[in-house]
Amino acid sequence: MRTAAETRTHRQKEIRRHLLLYAGMTPFLFIAVFPIYWMAITAFKHESDLYRMDNIPFWFNLPPTLKNFEILFYQTNYGHWIVNTLTISAWVALITLLTAVPAGYALARLRLPGAENIGIAIFMTYLVPGIILFLPLSRVVASLGLQDSWWALVVVYPTFTIPFCTWLMMGFFKTVPMEVEEAARVDGCGQLSALIRVVLPVSLPGVLTSVIFAFTLSMQDFLYGLAFVAPGDQKPVPVGVPTELIRGDVFFWGSLMAAALLVGLPVAILYNFFLDKFIQGITGGAGK
Amino acid sequence: MTVSLGGGSESTTRAAAQPVSWRSSIAARWRTNTSRRLAFGYMLLAPAVLYVLLLVGIPFLFSLYLALSDANVGDPVARFVGFENFRAAMEMDTFWDALRNSIVFLVVAAVFKSLLGTSLAFLLLQNFSGKKVVRALVVIPFTLPISVSVLSWKWMYDSQFSVINWGLHRVGLIGPYGSESWPIWLGQPQLALLACIGVNVWRSFPFGAIVLLAGFTSVPTEVLDAARVDGCTFFQRFRHVVAPMIFPILIIGFLFDTVFTLSDLSVVYLLTQGGPGSATQILPVLAYQIGIQAGALGRGAAIALVLVPLLFPALFLMLRNLKRRDW
Repeated sequence: MRTAAETRTHRQKEIRRHLLLYAGMTPFLFIAVFPIYWMAITAFKHESDLYRMDNIPFWFNLPPTLKNFEILFYQTNYGHWIVNTLTISAWVALITLLTAVPAGYALARLRLPGAENIGIAIFMTYLVPGIILFLPLSRVVASLGLQDSWWALVVVYPTFTIPFCTWLMMGFFKTVPMEVEEAARVDGCGQLSALIRVVLPVSLPGVLTSVIFAFTLSMQDFLYGLAFVAPGDQKPVPVGVPTELIRGDVFFWGSLMAAALLVGLPVAILYNFFLDKFIQGITGGAGK
Repeated sequence: MTVSLGGGSESTTRAAAQPVSWRSSIAARWRTNTSRRLAFGYMLLAPAVLYVLLLVGIPFLFSLYLALSDANVGDPVARFVGFENFRAAMEMDTFWDALRNSIVFLVVAAVFKSLLGTSLAFLLLQNFSGKKVVRALVVIPFTLPISVSVLSWKWMYDSQFSVINWGLHRVGLIGPYGSESWPIWLGQPQLALLACIGVNVWRSFPFGAIVLLAGFTSVPTEVLDAARVDGCTFFQRFRHVVAPMIFPILIIGFLFDTVFTLSDLSVVYLLTQGGPGSATQILPVLAYQIGIQAGALGRGAAIALVLVPLLFPALFLMLRNLKRRDW
């Protein structure tokens, strides 16, 4: 048994260790979070509060305002961009789901000859840089007659969501015990109905993860949106904000930061919840 | 794919038509089950493979063709011009600036990302209260859409109202606005490149830390304990036990980052457009400006393709790493 003195020194040690760790962590936290803080505080500041060097810029010198958000929604296409972004991502998620889930299942479970190589080949296409593909893809988009609408992005985004989610689903399906499926087959299910009735419900967390990633990966894109969608009301948020809210040399920082904050935070939070799955996905489940 | 589909149904009918000996009926049933399974498998695989083939495979080949043609935005007829685009690109000074900057960018950023990422990973490896919150906060940079976070940086780098400079001035490291020691982050050539690299590092080092952390936690504690019992010091344990075990994961994280750093255009495009002059010009931005903005598709494709040999070692390593994995 510990004596009281021993417990005390143990506690002191723990406290010292914690203090050291927090001290080490502080610069990292500051670097990581400050730009977001700066974005948030700018979004609620009056225009005149932004350009005063004599004040401390880290807090409000004039009372906070919602004016920047008003400008955003009433005087720009921001509303359109949000709707576009959500619709594009929903379509991309649907297409990804319908292609990547079956493909992941086939590669993980059906002992297809060459499954390993096909799996790797599909995954490697995720790493082909968009900057190499975007010129030929612009031809594809043009020949489909989609160059002036966000539908172009619905066609193009699955080029990176399908490889990623196929890889992710492969990992998930491998963790479902074979017996579950065999039991269903013994009970008289066909291959397809065993997949739909038994395997899919068990893999629902994996399917959900794929949907989230199709969604968030679509919102990370800048290049394709910049290259393929010209009309102001057709853009997704990550492209509309930097290209339409800046007029020549004039930056309306308040509204810009409000726009960035409104789309950035939900994506960051959503992504964060599924971060571990993301890491598992790219390291091939090694980080389990 | 169609071949095995046909094969599947054919053997099904054959098996049904011939009630033969016990031994061959087993063989027939096995064949039927196998071919049915294969047909089913390829059917499930087909949509994904077709999508990737049509919109990644063929476009990739087409970009090779574009690079060898004089394709233009306004002119649909492209003639084969051989290596003319590559030759013309090499005669541009900007091209060499872009190539040099891309490599400098990649290397300098990688050094800082490794240092920051490793230290952060070691910190996150410890147990302390509030760890979950800390982790959620430090990964914010790479979960935000990149174009959006670059905007925030552009405002922090503002030539006059830069909050970074305000801080530096208050601490006494630089003079007041307008003085010589007041840095104009995006306006002075070397500072501008540094500023762009800074954003890339800020965005990616938490990713490195998280990948490294995943590696660390995948090392079984029994193995570490065994090494400790055998009298290994911390560094020996790290060198001989941990490092070899996490190497595959490290390679993957490192290569992922290399591919994205080399091919990302949003940081430079939004911060400086490659300027001042061509001080921050990099290959992806140049390819975009020439291929889309100036309309010279062939030239743009040629410049983008210069990335391929740069990426090739990374992709090759990754491929080898993936193939060696247990399946």
